[in-house]
Amino acid sequence: MELFLQTLLNGLLIGGVYALVATGLALSLGVVGIVNFAHGEFLMLGAFLSYLLFAFRGMDPLLSLGLAFLAAFLVGALAYQGLIRPVLKAPELNQMLLTFGLSIVLQNLALLLFGADTRVVAPPYQAAALSLGPFFLGAVPLGAFLLSLVFLLALQAFLTRTRLGLAVRAVAQNRLAPGLLGIEAERVYLLAFGLAAALAGVAGVMLSVMLYASPTVGFLFTLKSFAIVALAGLGNLKGVVPAALVLALAEALVSTYVPGGGGWVEAVFFLVLFLALVGRAWRAA
Amino acid sequence: MRKAFGILLLAMAATALAQTQVRVGVLLPLSGPASVSGRAALNGIQLAVEEVNAQGRVRLELVVEDDGADPARAIPTFTKLMTVDRVDIVIGGLSSSVGFALSGPVRQHGALFLVIGSASSVVEQAFEGYPLMFHYHPWDYHNVAAALDFFRHLYQAHGARRVAMLYEDGPFGSAGIQVYRQQLEQMGYQARVEPFKTGSGAFTPILTRLRAFQPDILYWIGYDVDALPIATQTRQVGLRPKLIYGAPPSWPLGFERNPLSQDMVGMTAWLSTVTNPESRRFVEAYRRRFGEVTEEYMAPMGYVIARSLALAVERAGGADKNRIAEALAALRMNTPFGPLAFRPSETGRTRYQGFGAEIWFQFQYIQGTRRPVFPRERAAVPLRYPGEYYLR
Repeated sequence: MELFLQTLLNGLLIGGVYALVATGLALSLGVVGIVNFAHGEFLMLGAFLSYLLFAFRGMDPLLSLGLAFLAAFLVGALAYQGLIRPVLKAPELNQMLLTFGLSIVLQNLALLLFGADTRVVAPPYQAAALSLGPFFLGAVPLGAFLLSLVFLLALQAFLTRTRLGLAVRAVAQNRLAPGLLGIEAERVYLLAFGLAAALAGVAGVMLSVMLYASPTVGFLFTLKSFAIVALAGLGNLKGVVPAALVLALAEALVSTYVPGGGGWVEAVFFLVLFLALVGRAWRAA
Repeated sequence: MRKAFGILLLAMAATALAQTQVRVGVLLPLSGPASVSGRAALNGIQLAVEEVNAQGRVRLELVVEDDGADPARAIPTFTKLMTVDRVDIVIGGLSSSVGFALSGPVRQHGALFLVIGSASSVVEQAFEGYPLMFHYHPWDYHNVAAALDFFRHLYQAHGARRVAMLYEDGPFGSAGIQVYRQQLEQMGYQARVEPFKTGSGAFTPILTRLRAFQPDILYWIGYDVDALPIATQTRQVGLRPKLIYGAPPSWPLGFERNPLSQDMVGMTAWLSTVTNPESRRFVEAYRRRFGEVTEEYMAPMGYVIARSLALAVERAGGADKNRIAEALAALRMNTPFGPLAFRPSETGRTRYQGFGAEIWFQFQYIQGTRRPVFPRERAAVPLRYPGEYYLR
């Protein structure tokens, strides 16, 4: 029982980070209608920014969260303005190829600037843990979970309580009607894509402390985010958090209870997704 | 004045005539995931070539190409070196996949192939009987022998009994893992083996489960990206091994500056703090040329290959690859790794094996530096066992 509860805790904590990354992807998919394969590279940007500020300025990663948010927002907005906007009306395959190409370019740019070395940050609390009776909670995973929660609640408040947020939701629901009411869809797209990148950038800072910074750190999270978004239902922002938790818990349970489960971590994600999609199709039929 | 100028011209012409010129292909991963090792190797090669060329007896001209550690890229690039650049000698094969893929083209072109890496015995099988392949790096069975020697020491001298082996489930980590486990069990260890996905950072569930096993040694075989997550999550789940032993091809940049590296142990063939005269000379020359000290053992490995080649060219008295190979086969030289002399590999499949298990040693991260701790005759400091991995 103790092992089971510890496993649930482990899954819950990592699920928060997954939800943060996937929410960004759900935003760009739901609002802009773009399948962004370069989403993980915005995460990589945040991770490298965290590393650089720590290595050369001694800045605690917690303090670089705001900077990462702004930097990733800016890069996301520029990417939207320069690359995404011209292909908004192009066939979906072209859009996918473009974002896939952007992902490869950004990865190789990082490789050129930083090399293939894995970079690590070392804040003093990196390996700290809270001991609650028989249970252990890593301070960093717990902090990342709570920060993810804060960012997701802030995003929720923005989308439900501000005019701009309502405009974003309106555009997500219908691409034509908001234009008739004077909402500039172009600006909303720019904002949504920038926000999506910013959320990934923030997650990148957290992952620089939990894992590492490297040119390929974002790729794995892009895949996982796609699985989460697909499980939640394309563009369904509310479904992202439960979907992320379901997948993270499935991952943790398999790793703990299935012999050799550590090698199944990625397969579990897509197996759960596969079952969910088949189940959904079965119900619809 | 005119006479002096004539004499100078004659002297220069005589020097040029006396100098043996050889074009050498260099095929290394200068981009992609193995580029850290590849660039270090190239630095070492270039340093040696500059030294050799300055001496004036032999002139090596390098034609450098990037294989990206990708066999599909390595084969056409190698063919280009052979047919367009017209080289007879190639230094390369850092990654085993490339070394294996090149076995056919190397035989086809009859190249003199000086192999800097390619530890997998699969490569040894692929080059079986080929007379112009010189393999400098130890084979994988040398690596295993060196690691097992250390585990035997831990068992006998420190009373270690339980080992948890975490391995990445790709070709690198899973090669021979069950054989490894059997050998440890024959030694007397209780062994648990667990696969993981490299780069996933998802160790918490596995480590949580291992708490009940209470391993004395946590042994992980993966990549640099796995080093920090294992170090942090081991502590976070309350696992308290007496030794964390890692076997990545390279460690994260600046890992020694992270307090979590303290007492972690790994294996290498060389460190910049190695005290033999050749190593000290290499470190100094490298620092002068590149303005830094390297900790990548591929740098001195590249240096050794280029220096030994130059010496063989000089002794062969020409650029004929077969005569150079004969001279290489008879070569004896001191290197930063210790003495180099070619002999048949232990399986007898290849004729010219440079280094063996003797060059490997274990190091421990101690207060921001890597210090040799085993074997005893090469240890700079005693092994800290048990290491302090618990939360302070």
